[in-house]
Amino acid sequence: MPAWPENRVHIGSHAKRVDAPAKVTGAAKYTSDVQPEGWLYGMILRSKWAKAKITRINLDQARKIRGVKAAILRDDTGERTVRYYGEELAAVAGVSKQACLDALRAIEVEATELPFVVNVEDALEESAARVWEDAPNASKPRVREQGEVDKAFSDCAAVVEGFFSTPVQIHHPLETHGNTISWTEEGVTCWASTQGISSVREGLAGHLQLPQSKVRVFSEFMGSGFGSKFGLGVEGGLAARLSKEAQAPVKLMLTRFDESLAVGNRPSTCQKIKLGASADGKLLAFELENYGTAGIGGGGATEGGSGGVEIPAPYIYRVPNTRAKQFSIAVDAGPACAFRAPSHPPASFGMESIMDELAVKLDMDPLELRLKNDPFEIRQKEYRLGAERFGWKEKYRKPGSSPGPIKTGVGCAAAQWWGGGRGTQAEAQVNPDGSVEVRCGTQDLGTGTKTVIAVVAADIFGLNPEQIHVRIGDTQFPPSGASGGSTTAASVSPAIYDACTKALQELQKQTGVADARGENWKVACRKLGVNPLVVHGQWQEGLSSSGVGGVQFAEVAVDTDTGFVKVKKITLVQDGGLIVSKLTAESQASSGVIMGIGYALYEERVMDRQTGVMLNPNFETYKLAGLSDAPEIEIVFLDMPERGVIGIGEPVTIPTAAAIANAVANALGVRVSRLPITPQRVLAALGKDKLSS
Amino acid sequence: MKPFQYATATSPAGARQLMGDNGTYLAGGNDLLALMKEYILNPKILVNIKSLPGLNKIQPGGKVWMIGAAVTVAELEDHPGLKKTFPALPQAAAEIASTQIRNVATVGGNLSQHSRCWYFRQRDVLCLKKGGDTCYARHGENKYHSLFAGNTCISPVVSNLSVALTALDATAVVQRGDKQIRMTMPELYAKAWDNPTAHNSLEPGDLILRVEIPAQDRRSAYVQMSEKSAFDWALVSCAAAGKVQGGRISQAKVVLGAVSPVPYQSKAANDFLEGKALDTDTTAKAADLVLEKAHAHTQNGYKIPIVRALIHRTLMQLKA
Repeated sequence: MPAWPENRVHIGSHAKRVDAPAKVTGAAKYTSDVQPEGWLYGMILRSKWAKAKITRINLDQARKIRGVKAAILRDDTGERTVRYYGEELAAVAGVSKQACLDALRAIEVEATELPFVVNVEDALEESAARVWEDAPNASKPRVREQGEVDKAFSDCAAVVEGFFSTPVQIHHPLETHGNTISWTEEGVTCWASTQGISSVREGLAGHLQLPQSKVRVFSEFMGSGFGSKFGLGVEGGLAARLSKEAQAPVKLMLTRFDESLAVGNRPSTCQKIKLGASADGKLLAFELENYGTAGIGGGGATEGGSGGVEIPAPYIYRVPNTRAKQFSIAVDAGPACAFRAPSHPPASFGMESIMDELAVKLDMDPLELRLKNDPFEIRQKEYRLGAERFGWKEKYRKPGSSPGPIKTGVGCAAAQWWGGGRGTQAEAQVNPDGSVEVRCGTQDLGTGTKTVIAVVAADIFGLNPEQIHVRIGDTQFPPSGASGGSTTAASVSPAIYDACTKALQELQKQTGVADARGENWKVACRKLGVNPLVVHGQWQEGLSSSGVGGVQFAEVAVDTDTGFVKVKKITLVQDGGLIVSKLTAESQASSGVIMGIGYALYEERVMDRQTGVMLNPNFETYKLAGLSDAPEIEIVFLDMPERGVIGIGEPVTIPTAAAIANAVANALGVRVSRLPITPQRVLAALGKDKLSS
Repeated sequence: MKPFQYATATSPAGARQLMGDNGTYLAGGNDLLALMKEYILNPKILVNIKSLPGLNKIQPGGKVWMIGAAVTVAELEDHPGLKKTFPALPQAAAEIASTQIRNVATVGGNLSQHSRCWYFRQRDVLCLKKGGDTCYARHGENKYHSLFAGNTCISPVVSNLSVALTALDATAVVQRGDKQIRMTMPELYAKAWDNPTAHNSLEPGDLILRVEIPAQDRRSAYVQMSEKSAFDWALVSCAAAGKVQGGRISQAKVVLGAVSPVPYQSKAANDFLEGKALDTDTTAKAADLVLEKAHAHTQNGYKIPIVRALIHRTLMQLKA
């Protein structure tokens, strides 16, 4: 069985991001930077109706606009029933953005407006318009039951109930969805902003009915996806067809407006929870009814997790008597898809909120209640370590007992995730001059995959990470999986280990140098002669594993006069097996916390029930956490090298909102049970907003 | 956006002439660009007014301070003299948008900016303010909207500077045709109170040249509350000015932003404050009077407690 080297120099260190200079100087070329000879802009015409029967789309006037080189329909006939505002109808390509914009405005669309419904509450009404003609808006509930729930509740010493809701959250990667695609006689070349170059290639070849050997996809740098960039997407298919019609490369990057509407979101949840325990706090009975909306459906891009409404319940706890009834509600809005730790942040928010309510009822410290019930040993350790670092004992007070109008409070919550990965292949090329190239058909979402590859290769060869030329994001390299589910580090690292270890062995065998590492490297390589050494490797059992916990502690200050919540501190304790690249892992952890703050306090898709449009398709009123909203973030990794590599990109964002919500409830003595926790909702919870509904 | 011409004016009268019937003045251009990209404004010509003589100057004076319309928000924020003399103004400036935007945004642009109502800004919605026949916010999503309104549109004024300048009794000097006219801050916004399509009282072709603030021995302060810590619009803003001697306030003026189409004040509240000891009771009663005619909609009643808190906090700052 292979094993990670005992003496790790760069693995687990704060080694710099290998592509940092390229990124800060702008030398790094993202999809939107690529400019193949003769390229055109592409843009998409979207439905301005929430629901309509499109009977005819006329592109003639659009084609006459100066500079427009192609105009195509999404569907051959132009006929379509659109079911949400922003659904794609047609696309144009032209020599300038303005030519495309003018063309979009020149397209004539004939449509019959149909009744629509965009909010969950409305969609549940008997008289609500149906999103899908042949099915009711509410799906048939799925019920999971074990034990004797009703009897167990009657035996409980303490029972609490609550209703918790979470909003529809938009992914909003800073680089929007998009591709630059060139379709020529020889084949199709695609520069994609994607989490999966192989899935994009498969999608393109299938969509265009070309052999996969004629399709090549690049993604050397990309600005994140959070689960929404696995497939080709409608925009990718349209870009390819535009390129064929225009006989020129087409760059079709979505605008922020587009990004808000049609490329995925995290479904909402409305969780009615009942939880019962014995007098000493042992969980005995749990009941959940949960519904929410994934828009018109679950969407196609669900690799790495579900895009559905259903949540794991009772989340991280084991309750012997459990009943969970869950259903989804269709509305005329963009479909959901996988989103960083699909279904876990809302699950954590609901369950950890009711846990704190139970602690209040039992007059127990909420941390004690967790330690009493958490079945995962690693998390027990994390809670104890985190509590010490955070100063839980000193900071925790009874709910609502903080003096003055600006009240402080603390809360905690936990995560679980898998984070395993497998299947990656890679090759190491050792050149006679001693330079090293490592090739792998993975992609770096910005998380630091290139750095992970470099530090693994460096430690095996006894070199510095800067000496490793990492080449990724090309479907002509040995394949790797899509980057989702926090699988990349655990899937890629072992393959790099394997390729590099074998390359070292081969180098030593061919050259007769007993130990070619470190200072012997150049001498050994020179002995290769003219041809480089190329060695293939693949993921091996034993170097990675799966299954992590993770806990977070939050401290907040709440202004009870204005309802303003300020997160002062988050302490995060996360296990991830062997941490390969500490710097980028810490960066991921910070990003998870900051994203969690957005989910807790700011983010929410707002749909207008009168017109069916989205009212906040921009960063002005769809509010993301900024740097000034970020608190002191203390990151503690529970390093467990014996477990091998496990991904941490998702668990680090799961419990943030739950911990913040618990801290706010601890500060106020009343709970804001709906995310985001806005001033409006804080004041309502305090009974100070008597007029608004 | 639609094609447009570009010209640079060298005199106010020349600017007016260049602008013609279908033009717009260009200073910072922050909001103008957005309005043009959304086809809400489609000017034939943009007239650059940043080179007009004197427009980019802050001129202190014994009787009156003059602040040119092309002075940037960042210059207001950082001006030591203003910080000392009219602290409400740099405080209001510091809360505007982001550093990058403040570096190019101007006084004139901030005062004359258009509604941020999300129905008005939605490209596929024709609301009352854009010439349609419905204020969707009234029966829809109105958490950011007005508590006071004189017409059906409930989109609030969002100019931070207008709130501070109203408290400071400032006057705008406006080029109208070949004349220069003077408008008090209430006059500069009065039309938006009555007319749903108006953002302010400026007529087509009107150009704000400067604002004048009378020298005064009153203190001033500005406080706002937003959802986020920075780079966010005010849910409620409050500016106050007054003289505080022996703990008593006189010549008080309390003004609210983001709760009405105009910088909102109550004469009854301002009168009430005259000679009162600045304490919790006084500020609470002043808030009662300011809120006397408040009308909350389905989602914005939470602004009322924020108004109370900000009136208290702003007035208390005058004590310092």
